[in-house]
Amino acid sequence: MLIKNGNVHDGLGTVRQQDLRIEGERITQLGEGLTPCEGEEVFDASGMEVLPGFVQALSIWGINGSMQEIRPSSNDNDEKSSPITPELDGFYAFNGRAASIQQLGAFGLTSCGVAPADNNLFGGAIAAFCVEGVNPYKMCLKREIAMMASVTGNLKKTYGSREQAPQTRMWIFTNFGEQLRKAAEYREEEKKPKDEKLAALKRVVEGELPLFVSCDSLAAAERVREIVEQYPKLQLVLVNGFGLTGEEEWIIEGKIPVIVRTAANPMEEDAMTLDLGAIAKLAARGVPVALSGTCTNSLGAREDMLWNGAEMMRVLHDSEAVLPMLTSTPARLLKIDDQTGSLREGLRADVVIWSANPLETYRAQVIRTYQGGKVIYQKGDERTCM
Amino acid sequence: MYVIKNGTLYTMDQQGVIQADLRVDEGKIVEIGAGLSTEGMQVIDAAGKCVTPGFVDAHSHIGGIGPGMEEDLNEITNPLTPELDAYYGINPRDKAFQTAISQGITTSCLAPGSANVVCGWVMAYKSAGKNRVVKRPVAMKGAMGINPKGCYSKKNQAPMTRMAIANLMRTYLRNVKEYMKKKEEAAGDPEKMPPFDLGLEHGILVMEKKIPLKVHSYMHDMMTVLEIAKEFDIKITLDHAQGASDYYEELTDEHVQGVIFGPTCEPLFPGEGGKLDPECCKGLDDRKVPVAVMTDGPVTVVNMLLYEMGEAVRCGMDPVRALAMVTSNAARIVGVEDRVGSLAVGKDADILIWSKLPSEAVDAVLEQVMIDGTVVYTAAK
Repeated sequence: MLIKNGNVHDGLGTVRQQDLRIEGERITQLGEGLTPCEGEEVFDASGMEVLPGFVQALSIWGINGSMQEIRPSSNDNDEKSSPITPELDGFYAFNGRAASIQQLGAFGLTSCGVAPADNNLFGGAIAAFCVEGVNPYKMCLKREIAMMASVTGNLKKTYGSREQAPQTRMWIFTNFGEQLRKAAEYREEEKKPKDEKLAALKRVVEGELPLFVSCDSLAAAERVREIVEQYPKLQLVLVNGFGLTGEEEWIIEGKIPVIVRTAANPMEEDAMTLDLGAIAKLAARGVPVALSGTCTNSLGAREDMLWNGAEMMRVLHDSEAVLPMLTSTPARLLKIDDQTGSLREGLRADVVIWSANPLETYRAQVIRTYQGGKVIYQKGDERTCM
Repeated sequence: MYVIKNGTLYTMDQQGVIQADLRVDEGKIVEIGAGLSTEGMQVIDAAGKCVTPGFVDAHSHIGGIGPGMEEDLNEITNPLTPELDAYYGINPRDKAFQTAISQGITTSCLAPGSANVVCGWVMAYKSAGKNRVVKRPVAMKGAMGINPKGCYSKKNQAPMTRMAIANLMRTYLRNVKEYMKKKEEAAGDPEKMPPFDLGLEHGILVMEKKIPLKVHSYMHDMMTVLEIAKEFDIKITLDHAQGASDYYEELTDEHVQGVIFGPTCEPLFPGEGGKLDPECCKGLDDRKVPVAVMTDGPVTVVNMLLYEMGEAVRCGMDPVRALAMVTSNAARIVGVEDRVGSLAVGKDADILIWSKLPSEAVDAVLEQVMIDGTVVYTAAK
């Protein structure tokens, strides 16, 4: 398969008119004036924009719950029976068909992260999947990417309302610190049964699994920072970006990545405290910034990546600066950048051909989406319904 | 008095898109034309900018639902509450109105929530200013489907099904008709008059086609509403309208005052949310069915109007037609086109100045907002 003459945006900040060859599930060649091999299908992308598939770092895709199942139930990423569940694996929250039916390829997405919900202090491990398929084992790009944590008011809403802890931020931060301290001190001993929770968190303290922490204010992010500072190997990733001002030297110096999520629902008062101007300031000073979807566990649109890109475009007015926030940066944070998130030789052919640049004009339509070299959407395909 | 000079005016009326100046005095647009005199007047330079009417959000609940108000627009104690009036549920000082302004929304059609089959009166309300009520009422709000069903099922009360919803809506409208008949028969004789009933009084405007029944309806529920509208010969607007692309032919019916699509910020989910078809905006517009979009604020983010226009354009709609969905079409469907929704002499000076055309350019920045001629928002440089 040869995609000819498109404006190829590599997702790392550069754009060049060139050809792109797909063989099997990989991009095998990029360059100008590539000659079609015998029998090779050629797609003329003249005047079109060729982008990496978007990578939604933290998503709701493929997660079943009350809104999809026959019985009232919790979402599969939301184990609200205890606030401390670091031993769980977000991999098991994902249903391939539930993701596929959303037809995400039509919106330029080819991969997504699946994380435990914001309702637990330590929720469990994050996994990444491609968006179209059936078998989660075949769709999975990586497991045990990072540990998902949350120090947001969601914990209070979830447990406090049941007369259980936490009811306060005192509990949240005290236990955030205590769990990490115990994990740092934890040693597996032959004669004692393994403590699955501390063993999971030990990998975080040791820097083996980065810690993604969902925060709902600047103060929350600052408390998290004070606590994790004691563990030099621990790799912190801030989730949401609510309340950040762009002046946080500790984020800039530490190059602490920020995954921006917007609130789908402004009835959550934090919604209006996201300042993308501030996030852009951090990005300009070298902080890795990924734009994701919404922070609401069950809502969120398939267009979220596009719309959050648009929000950032109104600040930066530079599509090559915004595109990595939707592609290569989230791929790096999910540790799948060796597979996807940019257009480079050897990577998976997760490629979206657009009629125009979707970060510049709403006229831009998806012409064709490849996931791992396979066409998963073409303009004119019927839209799926449920 | 001031003049907005040299802008590209998207008038959204017969004048179309023109390069012209626009003069504002005492809250109204008083003159539009090339090379207007600016002597003794303040000048706002709009060279290279797009000047559009203030946005009309055709379906919203801001000021009545949200932090502090909780659910002041949702009286979930009786599925028929036609006597209620959104006006009393609105906190004019809710900061959501400021947020709305920052997204270009100068008028919102504020409706009681959709828990009830018949919810109460709807009004058109400005985001700022001294006289914020544009028109009250503009509609009677109704709701079909999962909202009434879900809210009352929990209480083991009717309506627990779509059958009962259709029945309740008919019962109300029939009662209004009978009430009107009795009043007519009384011919002004106080002895023969039926006892005063505020809820039925409110419905008279619907029956007289002075205001539409504004119904939360998705997919096949729209067809139920249409059947009832034909039966009682009333005007309807179909709000949310996901799945409208399955019913193009039916929706060209004269009883349909308009379709208000959105918000689209959801994944697909079973039942009402099973089809998301922003392409219906173009499909309806092509068939001359008045179509608008909504924020449904604060249930979803107030910047939704921008994205709904954008997604309609992505589906092939012309950007100026898309702009009509938040200006002239929205005003016409809501019934306030005499005041807002276009740039024309005599209309309220609700004006937006954009760096680029917001229904086309992703990075268009809203630079200034005027309501009744007063500058209420200026973007930070």
